Amino acid sequence: MATEIAASPPPGAGDATSARTDAPAPPLRRIWNHYAVVKVRKALVVVFVVANVTFFLGRAMPGDPIDVMAGRLTQNGMTMEEARAVAMNSLAYDVDAPLHQQWWDFLVGLVTFDMGNTINRPGVSVMDAIGAYLPWTLFSIGVGTVIAVALGLALGMVMAYRRNQFLDHVLSVAASVLGAVPNYLIAMVLVVGGGMYLGWFNPIELRGTVSPGVQAGFNLEFIGDAFFHASLPILTYVLAIIGTWMLVMKASTTEVLSEDYVTVARARGLRDRRIAVAYVGRNAVLPLVAQIAISFGTLVGGAIFVEQVLVYKGVGGLLLDAVNYRDYPLLQGLLIIITSCVVAANLVADMLYSRLDPRIRD
Amino acid sequence: MTDHPAAPAAGKAPAGGPAEGALLSVRGVDVGYRTGRRTRVTAVRDVSFDLYPGQSMALVGESGCGKTTLGLGLLRLLPRTGVVSSGEILFRRKDGRLVDVRTLAREDLRRFRWNEAAMVFQGAMNAFNPVLRIEDHFLDTFRAHEGGRRRPRKEILEQSADLLTTVRLDPARVLGSFPHELSGGMRQRALIALALALKPQLLILDEPTTALDILTQRSIVERLAELRDELRFAMVFITHDLGLAAELADRVGTMYAGRMIETGTTRDIFYRARHPYTSALINSVPPVAGDLTVPQSLPGGPPSLTALPPGCSFAPRCAHAVDACSHTRPTLDVLRTRTEGLSHAAACLRTHELLEGATRD
Ligand SMILES: Nc1ncnc2c1ncn2[C@@H]1O[C@H](COP(=O)(O)OP(=O)(O)O)[C@@H](O)[C@H]1O
Ligand SMILES: [Mg+2]
Repeated sequence: MATEIAASPPPGAGDATSARTDAPAPPLRRIWNHYAVVKVRKALVVVFVVANVTFFLGRAMPGDPIDVMAGRLTQNGMTMEEARAVAMNSLAYDVDAPLHQQWWDFLVGLVTFDMGNTINRPGVSVMDAIGAYLPWTLFSIGVGTVIAVALGLALGMVMAYRRNQFLDHVLSVAASVLGAVPNYLIAMVLVVGGGMYLGWFNPIELRGTVSPGVQAGFNLEFIGDAFFHASLPILTYVLAIIGTWMLVMKASTTEVLSEDYVTVARARGLRDRRIAVAYVGRNAVLPLVAQIAISFGTLVGGAIFVEQVLVYKGVGGLLLDAVNYRDYPLLQGLLIIITSCVVAANLVADMLYSRLDPRIRD
Repeated sequence: MTDHPAAPAAGKAPAGGPAEGALLSVRGVDVGYRTGRRTRVTAVRDVSFDLYPGQSMALVGESGCGKTTLGLGLLRLLPRTGVVSSGEILFRRKDGRLVDVRTLAREDLRRFRWNEAAMVFQGAMNAFNPVLRIEDHFLDTFRAHEGGRRRPRKEILEQSADLLTTVRLDPARVLGSFPHELSGGMRQRALIALALALKPQLLILDEPTTALDILTQRSIVERLAELRDELRFAMVFITHDLGLAAELADRVGTMYAGRMIETGTTRDIFYRARHPYTSALINSVPPVAGDLTVPQSLPGGPPSLTALPPGCSFAPRCAHAVDACSHTRPTLDVLRTRTEGLSHAAACLRTHELLEGATRD
């Protein structure tokens, strides 16, 4: 004891020295290696790689992309000269410059959020086009994911607590069936069954993202209207992934229920509710947190079809347009932004996980 | 079945209820597990004993003999497939009321646990919730058992710190730690501190030191012995280490194939064992770690619970078995009557014939 006291610096000699006695790494290195920072670094690398792939894939495609884009434009009555000019202007870099120069311009454009102009919508930049459609997709998928995860976790836990009882059997069958149906089919069944056959709602009214005349803004009318129009997509997304969540949560909970610390918690006379939430639930959810991002990613992929079926004006239609009209700048922008969203979702899940599991924090 | 008149200490219970002054009176307890849709095994059969306040009883036997099952059954902590299928578990509560643990209602059972009887589990490296700090485990435990008044957090933590000090842990370091930040020995000490939090009358310890190195094991056992002297709780000490049993226990019960086959004081068992199985256990060298599997002097293993021999379960492995052993089940007969559950009793048809042979060793 005495030696320890003698060895420690006198008070006031700087907290920094004493705080770091057991962690000798310099502060910058420590921040660099911090769990959250490592995850952010990795996410940025993924986005960077994807951006480069879209850039070089565009170059590697057979034929001059300018010619391909221009060719498509001439079908609308433009002369080849005009079409080539439009196509060239739409890119955020100069096609005649050397490749490394193009690449550099492309990267600079990326970090300044300038990805050039769309070809098919004169005067509209790629960022503006994406900005007009993407929020609706993210909104409907985000809400759908949150509802499905929350409900799926709760139902999965109920199934595990009642395993091999009637309720468990019923829910298991329902979950397996839902998990097997493709999401655009769910959307069709909702429209045809609920809307046309049963007449619960008018699918025509639900189309689009907002009703005509409703102004965007932070008010009840707009938000209510947004939810009204998004209700079918959200319901579709919920039904599409809730089955999986129920089943994985049931499996995870069943496993945790056999852990020693749950038996000990019962032996300690804790209340059932406390055990279910803090001992069983929290530990059962941990291994599933990463899957939130996976669900989100799956739904982003599925949204292209679901939005078509439900006539919801999200990014899905924009993507199909970009493909149909060979709108390379738009396509490229969409790929990069959508990937970034999924990567961001992964990042959020990782952060959430590190908050929930003390074994991860450094 | 056993319907002979038995001493209060052992054998099938007379219908008369608990022994006078006993803390725990176990009467003819069977514990079964469901193993399939229609199949079940009985892992503990017709176990009876009386445990008096402050007593320490060791349960010994090879692994698979039903020691853990009995311990869990006493607190109704069996897994979903397990059930105490018959018998009585009578417990004299702190307020003097006698309850049958088997029939306690849900909320009564919850309040009974840990407050009256706590349990330290087999190899309990995993006894703490990995996402909660040690202090949260203390808070949860105290809060679950407090009456109407909500005790301030600070007061509970001070008491928890005192408890940790009694098991020689540094509260400043341990309270704020997560379980994975503590060594196995520290976790086991912390669990013992937690077990003593509500001053239970009975502490069941199931192989509390099995997974620990020998030095840690020693210091924990010594501290347990001291704490028992101080706090006077009764103990059921399940162990494969007969050395520990000799050190910590006043009395020993040997289990084989789900039955209690010999009980007596520690001296009885170690110097005058009267069941060939107990003798074999004592003559064997206990392994350094792990459950006692096969005693050296005893070839083979315990019989399958689904195919028990009709007579004495031990007969097929017994060097002294005669024809009668394979079709007559011996009863747990009292050999020497003492008060307070300390009678020496053994379930062997040849106890008296083998007396000379057993004492010569
Ligand atoms: N959950 C269970 N389901 C079915 N059988 C079990 C279960 N737990 C234990 N058993 C059986 O009960 C018997 C006693 O086991 P146990 O009480 O763990 O013995 P011990 O603690 O003496 O090693 C063993 O034969 C074991 O196979
Ligand atoms: Mg055991």
